[in-house]
Amino acid sequence: MSGLEVVKAGILTTIQDSGRSGFMDYGITKSGVMDLYAYEWLNKLLENKPNTNCLEVVFGDVEFKVKCETYIAITGAECEFSINEKSTQNWQVCKLCYGDSIKIGKLLSGTRVYIGVKGGFNVLKELGSSSSTLKEKIGGDKLKNKDILECKSFLDLPLKKLQKKFIPEYKKELTLRVVLGYQEDSFSKEEKEKFFNSSYIITTQNNKMGYKLSGEKIKSKLDGIISEAISLGSIQIPKDGQPIILLNERQTIGGYPKIGTVLPIDCYRLAQMEAGSTIQFKQISLQDAIKKEKLFKKSFLN
Amino acid sequence: MYYKVSGLDSLIIYFGDTICDDTFYKVNSHYSFLKKENMDGIIELIPSYTTLFIEFDIFKFNHEELFLKIKQITQNNELKKNSESLRIIEIPVYYGSEVGVDLQRVAKLNNLLISEVIQLHLSKVYRVYTIGFAPAFGYMGTVDEKIATPRLATPRKKIPKNSVALADNQTAVYPLETPGGWNIIGKTYLNMFDKSYDNFSYLRVGDKVQFKAIDKKEFLANGGEL
Repeated sequence: MSGLEVVKAGILTTIQDSGRSGFMDYGITKSGVMDLYAYEWLNKLLENKPNTNCLEVVFGDVEFKVKCETYIAITGAECEFSINEKSTQNWQVCKLCYGDSIKIGKLLSGTRVYIGVKGGFNVLKELGSSSSTLKEKIGGDKLKNKDILECKSFLDLPLKKLQKKFIPEYKKELTLRVVLGYQEDSFSKEEKEKFFNSSYIITTQNNKMGYKLSGEKIKSKLDGIISEAISLGSIQIPKDGQPIILLNERQTIGGYPKIGTVLPIDCYRLAQMEAGSTIQFKQISLQDAIKKEKLFKKSFLN
Repeated sequence: MYYKVSGLDSLIIYFGDTICDDTFYKVNSHYSFLKKENMDGIIELIPSYTTLFIEFDIFKFNHEELFLKIKQITQNNELKKNSESLRIIEIPVYYGSEVGVDLQRVAKLNNLLISEVIQLHLSKVYRVYTIGFAPAFGYMGTVDEKIATPRLATPRKKIPKNSVALADNQTAVYPLETPGGWNIIGKTYLNMFDKSYDNFSYLRVGDKVQFKAIDKKEFLANGGEL
């Protein structure tokens, strides 16, 4: 069979695309790639259609044997990457030949690596997406050794390379821009000032569902609310006052007060941060936030 | 009816401040109408007890315009009373103590006999107010005040799939094995979450649900697991 044979699956490697849309009213989470910026560039470099699937690798240490002729690109976290033991750059297209060996070693900065091939992998779609949602067993399972990831052979593709200025640097400090919303009125002026003037640390309770932070306690006048829908980047403030930023595999509804919502483009950066990193929040107007999002989307339209 | 910003590409419409049929009717009629209408540029619609969440394409709408448009459409089209789901779903439940591990607790906290707890749980037709938390997890209400019971102080790490449970004045069936803090009073053999169902969910928002007591024999004969 034509494809990539998994020699080392790593601890947590899954197939992802841009996620499931239109089923949240049935309680089905969005899922999908955590770092959409790295993912969009991956598909653009490979001249793939939007929403073509790829591998999302957490923790690194993954190895494949190539059983076809195709093209590969790697984006996201900075990592040790080699083809046939020869160290190779990520954020560029590389040609693969039958029998080649691909290795992703340690992650050097960032936490999620994206591996894509020309045309994507031939895997099952459920509810319109091939994203694996492990918790709910929707989409495929995580990768196992000896799995074969089927993909078609391609013989001709320009070896594009991303300009350096577009390659993000994954640092240990990040400012997240926030649009106030939801129950913002339940936070006094003092509480909001505290929220925007404090530093928070990312705890080890971070995964595709959300990132729990620790730092200055924030208090809402509300203990709880009648459960309502949660958007990407929503900042929940539970009773303990420690913010939780909800991401791709968030529960569809929840009953904690929310102060506002982190911009999607900043959620993609957050998804590359590790426990112990420092977060600050900065307020942004709704109009400016929409402008920035439009700019991001337009840059990947063609 | 007013809205709040829930993100740069979403808004949440509030139809009321308390859980009641009147508010839910407003939520559900708007949800059903918009779901059917399948408007270009609307990405997600998520109804809950008092709210309707709408995620949209920012190249097609902005918050204010979309809210006004929805207000207008729904006014012009006088949401029909029959936009309410007409489905009545029967869920068979085995209320044995080996599966209903909190029956004793619910009875004790409410000064009732176990048999009375079961009778009261069976006495009402419930409405699915919202689906969420987990796929196909339908929040149903409201149960008779006499059996309303707070959640466990410490949630259990695992609640078996298909458990029928109570929390305050709500009831639900756990569609998959998950952690949870609801009081477990029985078990059904019907799967709530199954990939063969439309949208993987047995229940839909707005459905009416009637629980029916079955004995152990019938429970096991239909594939129920103790």
